[in-house]
Amino acid sequence: MTPRASSHPGEHVDIAITGRGVVSSIAEGPDAFFDALLDRKSGVVDGSAPCSDFDPTTAMNAKAARRSDRYTQLAVCAAAQATAEAGLPNDVDPERLAVIMGTGIGGLKTLVDECEAFLGGGLRAVSPLFVPMMMPNAAAGMIAIELGAHGPSFSVSSACATGSHAIGEAKRMIERGEADVVVAGGTEAAMVPLCMAAFERMGALSREGVSRPFDKRRDGFVMGEGAGCIVLERGDLARERGAKIFGYVAGYGASSDAFHMTQPDETGRGAEKAMRAALADAGVEPSEVGYINAHGTSTPFNDKIETLAIHSVFNGGSPPVSSTKSAIGHLLGAAGAVEAVAVLGALDRGILPPTLNFGEPDPECDLDYVPDGPREAPGLELALSNSFGFGGQNACLAIRKA
Amino acid sequence: MAVTKDDVLEEIRDQLEAIKVPGAKEATPDNTWSELDVDSLDLVELVKSLEDRFGVTISDDDLKPIESVGAAIELTMRLVDAKEGSPA
Repeated sequence: MTPRASSHPGEHVDIAITGRGVVSSIAEGPDAFFDALLDRKSGVVDGSAPCSDFDPTTAMNAKAARRSDRYTQLAVCAAAQATAEAGLPNDVDPERLAVIMGTGIGGLKTLVDECEAFLGGGLRAVSPLFVPMMMPNAAAGMIAIELGAHGPSFSVSSACATGSHAIGEAKRMIERGEADVVVAGGTEAAMVPLCMAAFERMGALSREGVSRPFDKRRDGFVMGEGAGCIVLERGDLARERGAKIFGYVAGYGASSDAFHMTQPDETGRGAEKAMRAALADAGVEPSEVGYINAHGTSTPFNDKIETLAIHSVFNGGSPPVSSTKSAIGHLLGAAGAVEAVAVLGALDRGILPPTLNFGEPDPECDLDYVPDGPREAPGLELALSNSFGFGGQNACLAIRKA
Repeated sequence: MAVTKDDVLEEIRDQLEAIKVPGAKEATPDNTWSELDVDSLDLVELVKSLEDRFGVTISDDDLKPIESVGAAIELTMRLVDAKEGSPA
């Protein structure tokens, strides 16, 4: 592999997306996933949205799968889809290939199992695999191993904004000249009883077991699991090697509410700032945005305040907004990455995916949420994807059509 | 009933199978850990299974020079014999 010239900090580079991967409750694979969104398919069963048909050995050997927590298995599978689509690692310099795979929580099932083993059997009952399975950087490590990627590799964590932060930070890594290609995304497998109980106790989960973002009857989120991954690449190098480009990460904005650990700032200013920063990074005006993939969790607070923040940014001119979480529940650290893949589908096909289960408008949520969708959106060129995490950590991506 | 080398080999094969080592059931005493792609984490699990099955304690020092299935069988037999006070 001939070493390529790296970019220099400050030099403008466009960030192409050359691969996509999704594991979700409604489909595996980016095209099947977007088709399922357009078919108004829901992955919610009995109040949660598991990836029931997921088989890790489709992407990793049995021994590696056994030594990986489910959150890593999901990530490796999504990354395998994305890297296969991008033709990695064959076409790129492994020294310039990086991995940022985030998770909100990490190997929670492993943690719970090993706690039980330790409490029941003491030291000798604890698996030597506990730490490498539980640690939140295991997914990134495993993907780097599978790919032979020798560039930077790590996890980011910002609760439910993780996937968007991972993609945004991957964009920055390329812009800083530290890598030419970054496999980035988010993954989560936190549907263990302990975690469900904790969200329940917090009052965050839907008692009704229905994800109905922006609807007046919404009463909390539905827990999902899965992983999303995209391959980001310096545009000039992607074109040079003839890679198919699915879109561009045009802008990334991040902010912190610095307000409350679980509640969003009631003024929406943190969310607003992230959106404005993403638009500024992309060098575009709000009027150029044709669609917003909302954070849209279906919690009373989020959806009201996200609506307020969108009003502030778009000043009465908001484009249509929809929530992927209405179909697949809340994937926590994976949400932003899976939703980025949904946005790529919307841009590519010129169709907006719907918000499911929306029937009763809320005066405080007064945008167009595409409840009747899917909806044709000819001429769609640019979309935003919002992600807001516990800890008041916000990220927004501006994604442009290829 | 006295423990035999075949008993130990069977236990090693079962454990290699449990940790998804390819070809576990065909492992022979001649196979090295390297050939079987068994690493230090796998060995910790293997040692625990041998300790549990045969009631012996295998120390890290005991394990260090052990690089093959056959050497693990010999070590386990030595420890079993020592425990039972029978002649080596």
